[in-house]
Amino acid sequence: MSGTVNRRDFLKMMGLGGVSATLGGCDLPTTVTLEEGKEEVTSYLVPEEFVIPGVGVWYASTCAQCPAGCGINGRVREGRVLKLEGNPETALNHGKLCMMGQSGVQGQYNPDRVTTPMMREGGTLMPVSWDKAMAAIKDKLGAAGDRVAWMTGTISGHQAALVKNHLDAVGSARHYKYETINSAVWQAVNKDMLGHAMPRLRMDKAKVILSFGADFLGTWISPVHFAGEYAKFRTHNGRGTLIVAEPKMSITGGSADLWLPVRPGSEAALALAIANELMNAHGKDASALSPEQKALINSHGVDAVAKTTGVDAGRIKRIANMLNERTPSLVLAGATVEGQADGYNAVAAIMLLNVLLGNIGNTIEVPGDLPFAQLQAAQGSTRDLVAFANDAKAKQVDVALFYGANPAYGAPDALGVKEALDAIAFKVAVTLFQDETSMQADVVLPAASYLEDWGTHVAAYQGGQNAITMQQPLMEKLHAETRGFGDILLGLLQAAKKDEYGKFADYYAYLRNAYSAMPASYKSIAGNDEQSWNAALQTGLIKVDAPAKTIKVAAVAVNAPVAEKDDTQYPLRLVASARLGLWDGRHANLPWLQEAPDQISKVVWDSWAELHPATAEKMGIKQGDQIKVSSAHGSVTVQAVLLKGVHPDVIAIPMGQGHEGYGRYADGRGANPLKILNPIQEKKTGELALAATRVSISKTGEHDKVVHMGSSDTQMGRRLVVTIPAEQLRRTEEV
Amino acid sequence: MALMGQITKIIECVLRQVTAMMSIRLHGNCSGLCRTLLILLGLAVVHEGVFAADKVYPPVGTYDGKDVVQPIEFPHNIHVKINKINCMYCHTYARRSKVAGIPPTSKCMGCHKVIATDKERIKKLTQYWENKEPPPWKKVHDVPDFVHFTHEKHLKKFVFDRDYPVENVKEVCAFCHGDVQNMTVAHKVKPLNMGWCKNCHIENGGPGDCWKCHK
Repeated sequence: MSGTVNRRDFLKMMGLGGVSATLGGCDLPTTVTLEEGKEEVTSYLVPEEFVIPGVGVWYASTCAQCPAGCGINGRVREGRVLKLEGNPETALNHGKLCMMGQSGVQGQYNPDRVTTPMMREGGTLMPVSWDKAMAAIKDKLGAAGDRVAWMTGTISGHQAALVKNHLDAVGSARHYKYETINSAVWQAVNKDMLGHAMPRLRMDKAKVILSFGADFLGTWISPVHFAGEYAKFRTHNGRGTLIVAEPKMSITGGSADLWLPVRPGSEAALALAIANELMNAHGKDASALSPEQKALINSHGVDAVAKTTGVDAGRIKRIANMLNERTPSLVLAGATVEGQADGYNAVAAIMLLNVLLGNIGNTIEVPGDLPFAQLQAAQGSTRDLVAFANDAKAKQVDVALFYGANPAYGAPDALGVKEALDAIAFKVAVTLFQDETSMQADVVLPAASYLEDWGTHVAAYQGGQNAITMQQPLMEKLHAETRGFGDILLGLLQAAKKDEYGKFADYYAYLRNAYSAMPASYKSIAGNDEQSWNAALQTGLIKVDAPAKTIKVAAVAVNAPVAEKDDTQYPLRLVASARLGLWDGRHANLPWLQEAPDQISKVVWDSWAELHPATAEKMGIKQGDQIKVSSAHGSVTVQAVLLKGVHPDVIAIPMGQGHEGYGRYADGRGANPLKILNPIQEKKTGELALAATRVSISKTGEHDKVVHMGSSDTQMGRRLVVTIPAEQLRRTEEV
Repeated sequence: MALMGQITKIIECVLRQVTAMMSIRLHGNCSGLCRTLLILLGLAVVHEGVFAADKVYPPVGTYDGKDVVQPIEFPHNIHVKINKINCMYCHTYARRSKVAGIPPTSKCMGCHKVIATDKERIKKLTQYWENKEPPPWKKVHDVPDFVHFTHEKHLKKFVFDRDYPVENVKEVCAFCHGDVQNMTVAHKVKPLNMGWCKNCHIENGGPGDCWKCHK
């Protein structure tokens, strides 16, 4: 907290302001009424028939604030988009939208948007014309061949197709797709075990959900969709019971009937012990499991696991009992399990529970393959980030183009992304805002926002009714010099393949043509292409039927997940936690999301480290103490927040802050825990193990007030909410 | 008798509206005689057909605004007073939206392709039209962004709900915009501040909740 105005001064100034306002107001209004003749009011030249000034019109489009791909409706008034809501036509989000989606308008009107192309001249980025910038890019691309690379986030639809076509045209296959928050390991296990990476999860049919770190209400795959399914789970077929085992309480954990704090890396053992109990004590049919899998389960006895994990044996047995009694159930594994060095085996061990409980084919369905393979979501992962860093450092990339990815911010320092970027001769950033990566670019191209651009999207997780969702401009470009991503791609392709792409005037023409070329079964109004296209834009989606498939469970070899040894130098495990809001840091420049309190700790506008009160007491740390958190690869200094929702062996620092060059709202705020992560890769998939870093902490001696909503954890004896002890409550006793 | 009862009910209903407008309420304890008198009065009012024109209380208070120089010195007086064009012919969105709307340039040209084409002002207008640019009019009447004012609701209350003759709508517009028919370009003559709005709301039974306007 800096600044010199304290509360008392503030009130004094307000008092003075009030007096002067009153004095000034002697001869009628000066303060409230706006001065006439200062603003212009422009009429239409020729009115649009359906436009009434002052009355909003809603248009459908697709959200791009996270990779989930929800449908949105935007209210447009006088040519400006003012409000975003969910599109009720979509099966994915059913008219709902999360706060990140709502904040889309703050990105649109953000004062830090890049408004003109820039090129590096003499070390600094200088404004240039589009022609000059594009000529420079085409010049560099021409010679680079297979040393051209695109780095994007998760990308789908025709944009994904064009990125691939562009790389094909220049003769390269380097498309690095990078997302810090992903479910890549879980998907890899599903792919091997079920034959489909992204099965459909029927939470509405489940009676019990057991989640190992899958924050499906906040950050896991498609949070808005799962929130809707979760509501059904809680209200249909009686009230479903949610059990969450995770090292740091997420918003999903906060909603659970039973929240189990677990040490990262011990989740698999816990799952196997539950499986053991189900198989041996409850006699669950284990014929779907291979002998090796059964042996693995048998080697994890409840009492032994209780000893190593610290979870009470009686509790493990009660969870097993509940899963046995209430079927079907659903067992999930998320970021903190995936983020282990042996994450694949840990997730696979947890998935065995689903097999044993008969959930496969019941609450876990396999959707049919979507047609148009080239439009499928190319999902981001951290494996590609590692590959990018290694390839670039090995001088295999000469020209890199970035869109929707900020590796300079999100990569651990130990990966050497800075050196990797230095090793690339020519870097192009297509971006809405200057960020840590685009600041190092040689050419910066100002992109139109997703609210000003055309596109199509295919969500990686489809919620029941499969669909291609439409993205259409909700308003004219706010900044005349910006260009749509599709238009930029098309421009590059026209340089490489004039004969094939030269006929399209712009990306809209390309999309419109692609739609016309679709088979007649995708047109909602038979025999009328134009009306079908308009209908697709009105509803915001093209429905695609892909009948569900039957599943054959493959007997995947699951090894006993290797537990980490204790480390006296770095006694605590660091969880760089994700939250719905700042996400992986991309939304740190949106004040609405900065000021929205963290769902569990309620802190605003800052970074902090969550510590269990017992751990903090042992180290003499109090709420608000500045502590230095050090790993083998660096350190960050953050404020300590004492919270019972963390495992005592864990320190959790939310990601998203600590920007250096992401605009006025993001810069100089908090710290970025991703920077100090050890560059450990998951053994099988090569993903970065984001929850496997160990740290030590030390006090800096400084202390500051923690700015958070709600001042007290207790009711101060006021009985605002009447409670009874947990042991008296039957429901919690069941588990 | 049943018919009489129904008629009484209808009249009472009408009366409630009329008396509410006159800031009198039919309380439950109103005596029989009082009620009969009011019913008779109501009948007389309905019979006379003069219903409500004089039962609203226009806001009181004036303000002397600045002279605003507009790109074209638009003569409201010629259009309204001499040619008797209705306000809502040009400000056509007033009854449908929160803003009254500045007429689209195409509407001006609808007449001025043939009318008064020799006048300087029309020549200037034609030039804007040919350049495909609407004239950059200056805003005269405005309220801050934290005030939600809507023309639609005010016209509904003061014109349509009262069956007030729409051809006289300028009398209602004048509540807040003054005697525009005697102006050339609009000139702000009413304060349009909160106290002024609030007084009118009290007098005429408009909503009193903060969030009705500050939402």
